[in-house]
Amino acid sequence: MSSKRKTVIGVVFGGRSVEHDVSVVTGHQIMRAFDPERYEIIPIYITRDGKWYTGEPLNDLKSFRNEVVSLAGVLPVALSPATNHHGLIINPTAAGLFAKSTIKRLDVVFPAIHGSHGEDGTLQGLLELADIPYVGCGVMASAIANDKLMTKTVLKAHGIPMVDSVSFTRSEWDADPDRIIHLIESTLPYPFFVKPVTLGSSIGITRATDSSMLRSSITIAANLDRRIMVERAVNHPIEVNVSIIGDDRGYQTSVLEQPVSWEEFLTYEEKYLRGGEGMKSAERIIPAPIGDELTARIQDYAKRAFAAIDGRGIARLDFMIQRDDDTVFLNEINTMPGSLSFYLWVENGMQPRDLVVKLVELAQDAHAEKRRSTYDYQTNLIAVTAQRGLKGVKGAKKPASTS
Amino acid sequence: MIEILIIIIAAVWAIGTCVRVYRQARFFQIEEYMNLRYVRWVLASRTRWLINRTLIAWGIGAIFSFMFSEAPDGFLPGAIGIITAMIAVFPPDEGEIKKKFRATARAKRLLGASFAAAILFIVIGSLLANNALSESAPEIRVIVQGMIGFAAFLLAPIWLIIGNLLMTPVEAAFRARFIAKAGAVLAEINPVVIGITGSYGKTTTKTFLTHILNGRYKAYPTPKSYNTLMGVCIAINNDLANDHSVDYFICEMGAYIPGEIKRLCDLTHPQISIVVEVGPQHLERFGTLENTAAAKYEIIKELPPDGVGVFNWDNPQIREMVERGYPETRLTVSRTVDPAHVKNAIPRFVASEIVESLDGLTFRVTDTLTSDTELFSAPLLGIHNVTNILLATAAAVHERMTLREIARRVRDLKPAESRLVARTSPEGITIINDAYSANPTGIVSALAVLGMYQTGRRLLITPGMVELGDLMERENTRLGEIAAQHATDVILVGSKQTEPILNGLRGAQFAADHIHVVETLSEAVAWYQRNLSAGDTVLFLNDLPDTYSV
Repeated sequence: MSSKRKTVIGVVFGGRSVEHDVSVVTGHQIMRAFDPERYEIIPIYITRDGKWYTGEPLNDLKSFRNEVVSLAGVLPVALSPATNHHGLIINPTAAGLFAKSTIKRLDVVFPAIHGSHGEDGTLQGLLELADIPYVGCGVMASAIANDKLMTKTVLKAHGIPMVDSVSFTRSEWDADPDRIIHLIESTLPYPFFVKPVTLGSSIGITRATDSSMLRSSITIAANLDRRIMVERAVNHPIEVNVSIIGDDRGYQTSVLEQPVSWEEFLTYEEKYLRGGEGMKSAERIIPAPIGDELTARIQDYAKRAFAAIDGRGIARLDFMIQRDDDTVFLNEINTMPGSLSFYLWVENGMQPRDLVVKLVELAQDAHAEKRRSTYDYQTNLIAVTAQRGLKGVKGAKKPASTS
Repeated sequence: MIEILIIIIAAVWAIGTCVRVYRQARFFQIEEYMNLRYVRWVLASRTRWLINRTLIAWGIGAIFSFMFSEAPDGFLPGAIGIITAMIAVFPPDEGEIKKKFRATARAKRLLGASFAAAILFIVIGSLLANNALSESAPEIRVIVQGMIGFAAFLLAPIWLIIGNLLMTPVEAAFRARFIAKAGAVLAEINPVVIGITGSYGKTTTKTFLTHILNGRYKAYPTPKSYNTLMGVCIAINNDLANDHSVDYFICEMGAYIPGEIKRLCDLTHPQISIVVEVGPQHLERFGTLENTAAAKYEIIKELPPDGVGVFNWDNPQIREMVERGYPETRLTVSRTVDPAHVKNAIPRFVASEIVESLDGLTFRVTDTLTSDTELFSAPLLGIHNVTNILLATAAAVHERMTLREIARRVRDLKPAESRLVARTSPEGITIINDAYSANPTGIVSALAVLGMYQTGRRLLITPGMVELGDLMERENTRLGEIAAQHATDVILVGSKQTEPILNGLRGAQFAADHIHVVETLSEAVAWYQRNLSAGDTVLFLNDLPDTYSV
């Protein structure tokens, strides 16, 4: 668009997810990264129970220490799926003499939600309906990456090494726990990691070394998700992460990081809360000291895996290296990485300011690509059917009227 | 008794007058509610203001009333008065109507005021006459009543003008409110506005630019050829309101009088302005080409300093605009310059290797600033479209589209409605419609396209070009000369106005038995349906509005 006009970016953060708080932090890091001369930033905050708000106070992280939605200037909003609104309806249920609902057009939406109801394709689906360009992966890539089982299924088919696992549903577990335990023990060797299939972060993930631990671990996981995955634990793994940006025209990978406290397992606190503000200050080694060959191999896997799910925008892919033989496994793909992996891209010489601009451009390109496809195909089906009556339509199996 | 008859006579004339006013209203619309233009049109031909049948019927009525004045009670003169009045005012067959009356709110207000003026005239006239002649013979009263009715009927155009004048302050208030609303809509939706003007090629360039930009963004163009202040306001208020998804508002701007584009710019504030062509179109309204160019230049003058001007470098008048140095960013396009010889990126976008065939146009577009180059092919006829595509390309590149992206969009461009569209009839006759290109550049392109059809006879049907002022005769003669090179048969519609074309054809030694002069478009269509067969081609050049019919 023309140089004079600021691009309006709606940054969506918070959300109905266990990673709500992390998302608020990531959202603010993203908002701060934009050049205010060129971009108008609209904060869009979703509460833990799924209510949407916007307003000036949401720009300040300090506002979130107390009841943010009761602050003056915080207004309820809805993101409209109607294409003509192309953004927010502020005060959607305005009533009273001076209340008025208004439309705020958003040029691009930047989802900064981690985990459920935001990183999993649902918000992306709303944005597809609204026909607004948005940053990051599309509906399918988000949904696949958010689902550990689907990720495994798809990536295995693309030759990416994945750790062996057994999956089952909560109702299967409830029906016959012994059968499930037997199935796991006869398929995989101890120890295991038990994981809820769709939950983000490390929540609900436990390590089981024997049968009774396995049972209690599954019970924990079954409280958090409908589907459960039991995975063979890799022996003394080195955990390494790499970030990726781009789309099917070309991907670019970042340097690798190695989180330091890999020894037992990263607990939720270690992963996010230590050090105060997001992952940036968590302890890590950058670049990961694993040698050029292994680094290159992981970067190649990252590109192939991201392409396999039709990823675009940004992601952080987490890998494990089995130390005995340098075997690499892909652990998971985060399509909305915490802090947008700014700390990795800085090492590649890309400042947060450049990274967010690049991501917005990718979003606009993806939208342009969508415009190339035709959705409006005119037929005379309705006119013909209206003339003949609905009887002739496929599927309507009523016998012909005799009257 | 006689009073009743006189009232009936007055009523018949009043109804007839109102019907005539109603029928005249569409011409008033075609002349855009401008009194002087309408008067000029009415006075151009006697039968437009003085209808033979009315005159004769009224005359005969008056004579007969005298002849039968012996009857008692004046019944017979009265009856004659009524019958002849009916004959006099009975609405004639209107023939072909190309542009129907549109019953807009404004038109209804105009008709209401005009009817009121006409009826008031008849009522007051009748009352005064009745008072003065209450002692006179019935036939005299009938004749005088007939004169009043006839006068009212004759003055139908005046009632329209009076109605229009009466409504002027009302319309001004409505207009001001409507324009203010459009301004508010634009401020709310806040799209990037792209203005397009030119003597011709505006609508086509607008259509192309919309299609190209829609490959990446969402562009909303003013519909059809809406290009006046009110037309643009209608587009904004009806379609742009409440559509926040629009990134670009592409506004066609017509200049029929100096200052009109400035007013459009005051409303829309374009950020990018495109000048397509400056030519003798509408010359009779501007007087000189310099005046035309000055009116078009308003679109550039009104740009903000950081705005963008897009210019057709091949047009000398437009090149002068570029040389005036405003605004800072001036993008120029040319289809005549060799890209190898371009210095300092002026012109910036150049088309070369242009090939025109029945499959369409192919040409190479070079951005002389970046040396970026791309082969374009468009399923369009007419070489002038290369310029239109280049202008749209320049604007799209400025809006961050790549030449490759644009080339992809250009591949599936469609011609604007009724602009050089070729189709084949069930009988196998190729029909090329170029009903709007009444301009010297367009006709050269169109005739060249006709010349490409070598499978049979090539028929040109045209009423010639109009509104070219002093150049009209010269340009139409040239039309005849060029047509002689490309057509095998020519049908001229309207014997009087096509005389210069006939001269041009004769001057080029075009076979006289292949020239047919007819008076209506229907006759021309009937002729080709009778005489052409599969493999033949017809070109319709410039379908005129009804005001130009003879």
